[in-house]
Amino acid sequence: MEKMSRVSTALGGNVLTGRTMHCHLDAPANAISVCRDAAQVVVAGRSIFKIYSIEDEQFVEKLNLRVGRKPSLNLSCADVVWHQMDENLLATAATNGVVVTWNLGRPSRNKQDQLFTEHKRTVNKVCFHPAEAHMLLSGSQDGFMKCFDLRRKDSVSTFSGQSESVRDVQFSIRDYFTFASTFENGNVQLWDIRRPDRCERMFTAHNGPVFCCDWHPEDRGWLATGGRDKMVKVWDVTTPRAREVHCVQTIASVARVKWRPECRHHLATCSMMVDHNIYVWDVRRPFVPAAMFEEHRDVTTGIAWRHPHDPSFLLSGSKDSTLCQHLFRDASQPVERANPEGLCYGLFGDLAFAAKESLVASESGRKPYAGDRRHPIFFKRKLDPAEPFAGLASSALSVFETEAGGSCMSWFVDTARRYALAGRPLAELCDHNAKVARELGRNQVAQTWTMLRIIYCSPGLVPSTNLNHSVGKGSSCGLPLINSFNLKEMAPGLGSETRLDRSKGDTRSDTVLLDSSATLITNEDNEETEGSDVPADYLLGDVEGDDEELYLLDPDHTHPEEPEYVLPQEAFPLRHEIVDTPPGPEHLQDKADSPHVSGSEADAVSLAPVDSSFSLISVSHTLYDNRLPPDFFSALVRDMLRFYAEQGDVQMAVSVLIVLGERVRKDIDEQAQEHWYTSYIDLLQRFRLWNVSNEVVKLSTSRAISCLNQASTSLHVNCSHCKRPMSGRGWVCGRCHRCASMCAVCHHVVKGLFVWCQGCSHGGHLQHIMKWLEGSSHCPAGCGHLCEYS
Amino acid sequence: MFVARSIAADHKDLIHDVSFDFHGRRMATCSSDQSVKVWDKSENGDWHCTASWKTHSGSVWRVTWAHPEFGQVLASCSFDRTAAVWEEIVGESNDKLRGQSHWVKRTTLVDSRTSVTDVKFAPKHMGLMLATCSADGIVRIYEAPDVMNLSQWSLQHEISCKLSCSCISWNPSSSRAHSPMIAVGSDDSSPNAMAKVQIFEYNENTRKYAKAETLMTVTDPVHDIAFAPNLGRSFHILAVATKDVRIFTLKPVRKELTSSGGPTKFEIHIVAQFDNHNSQVWRVSWNITGTVLASSGDDGCVRLWKANYMDNWKCTGILKGNGSPVSGNSQQGNSNPSLGSNIPNLQNSLNGSSAGRKHS
Repeated sequence: MEKMSRVSTALGGNVLTGRTMHCHLDAPANAISVCRDAAQVVVAGRSIFKIYSIEDEQFVEKLNLRVGRKPSLNLSCADVVWHQMDENLLATAATNGVVVTWNLGRPSRNKQDQLFTEHKRTVNKVCFHPAEAHMLLSGSQDGFMKCFDLRRKDSVSTFSGQSESVRDVQFSIRDYFTFASTFENGNVQLWDIRRPDRCERMFTAHNGPVFCCDWHPEDRGWLATGGRDKMVKVWDVTTPRAREVHCVQTIASVARVKWRPECRHHLATCSMMVDHNIYVWDVRRPFVPAAMFEEHRDVTTGIAWRHPHDPSFLLSGSKDSTLCQHLFRDASQPVERANPEGLCYGLFGDLAFAAKESLVASESGRKPYAGDRRHPIFFKRKLDPAEPFAGLASSALSVFETEAGGSCMSWFVDTARRYALAGRPLAELCDHNAKVARELGRNQVAQTWTMLRIIYCSPGLVPSTNLNHSVGKGSSCGLPLINSFNLKEMAPGLGSETRLDRSKGDTRSDTVLLDSSATLITNEDNEETEGSDVPADYLLGDVEGDDEELYLLDPDHTHPEEPEYVLPQEAFPLRHEIVDTPPGPEHLQDKADSPHVSGSEADAVSLAPVDSSFSLISVSHTLYDNRLPPDFFSALVRDMLRFYAEQGDVQMAVSVLIVLGERVRKDIDEQAQEHWYTSYIDLLQRFRLWNVSNEVVKLSTSRAISCLNQASTSLHVNCSHCKRPMSGRGWVCGRCHRCASMCAVCHHVVKGLFVWCQGCSHGGHLQHIMKWLEGSSHCPAGCGHLCEYS
Repeated sequence: MFVARSIAADHKDLIHDVSFDFHGRRMATCSSDQSVKVWDKSENGDWHCTASWKTHSGSVWRVTWAHPEFGQVLASCSFDRTAAVWEEIVGESNDKLRGQSHWVKRTTLVDSRTSVTDVKFAPKHMGLMLATCSADGIVRIYEAPDVMNLSQWSLQHEISCKLSCSCISWNPSSSRAHSPMIAVGSDDSSPNAMAKVQIFEYNENTRKYAKAETLMTVTDPVHDIAFAPNLGRSFHILAVATKDVRIFTLKPVRKELTSSGGPTKFEIHIVAQFDNHNSQVWRVSWNITGTVLASSGDDGCVRLWKANYMDNWKCTGILKGNGSPVSGNSQQGNSNPSLGSNIPNLQNSLNGSSAGRKHS
């Protein structure tokens, strides 16, 4: 006995040392308790009762208290507690209802001291009085609590909870006479030790059994309780009515709860089933655990902070037959790994963004991530127990909307609505679509349509009706090329802007451009009457892009003959879009750092332009003069469609595919076509363009697509008069022989869109019903039904 | 230029995910406060919370919408080791009169023994399928055999990734040429440098998912991963949020060349890599056409990335979390977020002008 107290005094003033470690026990543990000296821990279970000393590197078994030959049920421990004033005194609660005390100072091997056999069923909990050396309290499954004076042979007083099963009893740390007990019916009772007749106070703390409670070590009125309802609640019991101060929601039923020393708002919990982890919560942030210990492989049954004034060492015993010491700094911190931001791109180009407020508020709020290599590891933020609480973390949610009508995808919707895909001659369709595209400022697409018209409807090949049409359109047939390119029309809008931009921009590229454009002008003048400054500049832009573009797009594209002739045409439109991009006003501020795309490409440009421009023109002449068959271009068109698809503009790919129909269909992989169709239809449906989507389905040539609107086309309706299911065809009921599709508002037979309520089968003209429902929610037929239309 | 519309979310803890529905008119948010909120866009563009309910008993990491063909259906996943499927109930009720809608839980998926970190519905053409991934490194794929019965889900596949998973993304391609494919990212921060992005592909013959590719170059913890919407492209684009933003292209090598039975081989190129967020990147999200990528990171900014006609990815916009545009030279990038149109953006800000070079 003397020896032991010396050890403890020697340790008393010292700082605890140790590491995260565990040791294997012979059997599952049910409970653990720490000695006052923080150097020993007792582990108790059904078939284990041992004392381990906690060394720096490991646990060392000190003493096995299960002695004797025949195993006694008295040794099957449900709970164990080590007296916090006397290192030699322990008490255990046995599953057979016996409370046993142990005196380690006994000289014999058997340290058993006293045996109290008063409870009739399992004793769930034993508790020593924190200040009284001889007072022991027990709570049992039989619903009674008993207070023992260790100097006497039997209990001093018995407290009846008037209910089933006591799950926990705890002496208040601050109030000498008070103890709390928790019950399976969800109640918590507060007792005065001097008044065994009835409890001082009772309140319902949880929905379902309350498995545990713990008094706050400093706050005299705070009691934490944990229950099967997965919640930990902190009660202030100083007020007349027990007040719930905090509520922590855990993910499984709470088996044990222990306040963390020196941290006013922290408590540790472990669960009774499912969850094997130990969590440390800050009760002010009730949703996310501050720390998590994941060492155990089975349910944790006992937790204890190693020293009442040291917040960093936690001991635990588990059903997986291990005893662990956890260091707080080794705990995983779910908060650190939790994603602080959410981001989602909307359909219309809007962005929803939620971010932790501290990240958004200031740049300085940035903290190094634990796994970030660029920040040395010693910068890792440790949870300092003394650190003031930063407050509840919260996020700011905002939606970034695109300005100007709020819809950045409006071009898509407009295009989809206005494109003509069938029902007219090809040339007209192309012209119409080109016009639509141009009006929406999508010049590249407009050019493509125009070129398609030229390719497939050149005078020699177009059927006479089509030819007439294209002539009638006002495009002089003699100069289809020039007209269709619309150089003039485009020039004022685009060319001038471009030049303005360029002249302000990078001077170096400017000179290059001017030089080459000069060359071009001369060429143009030689070849075509339309040649002027503006289109030349514009043309130059195209030339500039095409070389690069071609090789990127199609590196292994090998036309054995005249590759240059074909390819510039394809790349031609690209530059339109670039030219079209309105430059930001700030663009000039940092010309040095922001290489103008055209500028960066200037070197390449200066080498090529003359060649390409020649080829371009010669192509147009070849086209016009020699009247190449459209088949000549099919590979090109195919590549173009693929190009649009790869660029994310599947709309163009599908529209062209539909308009050209058989002319290109055979050249393109069937699967790819199907893919384009399904993608485009999906997009249209996202934008709720059901009519367009249906038209596309109808016009598609692919079998897999056209069967899309063949599925689930039957409707089952009831007759609006006799309420029986309509069996026959048409709108005349087979039973009452009356027309079922009468409008309930105007009493005429509805032709066309008929809308009806699925509840009462009454309905009518869409317009009439809509109007009616603005004023009333009852059925217009007067049947009293509250109609619903979704 | 963007206008920021700030929304008082009234979540009691961090918001971990935001998700738009198929038509972009509804939004769902989920938070550590264990709740999910649904927001509806009114005629004048305001967002109204029409439902808010407790979904889990732990932090809700992700929320995601099913295709509206299956109804108004949400899936959520949580720290409490479960994923749940929710359906909105249509009907005349008091809730509706107050402008509130009612959501009921259709199923709880309890197979994981650790935190479920992501949940995603499969592309519509695959039927009603759901993938989850969990911290113990298992991807689970569930299917509702009867789309009318949302309470019955069967676990179809369990794919072991060996690493703690943080995010998944389905390949959205509807092409028959592309087998179902799922990319998985891991946020495992243990020091051993293992590849953190794995791609699994469904094999018709074995009827199992098998690993098709591993992105060997990504060795830092990955927080988010997203396939770009595939609108008829023959190849796939994958964005990865790790300590920087990375964009990969995966070009399927022609089937004829490989042995027909095995997984598709891909030619993988990294086409862009940006560390402008200066620290961890938490989220990546593609616009609807797969042409603009938005990323958000520890710097509290959203950055927009777009490829020009050279396939050179550049920053086209920076948005501060509170909506104010970032001041300074980089601001010009904001001026034209020409989303979705295939206008190669002439401008580039000085952020990212050096990055994004093509290298494989």
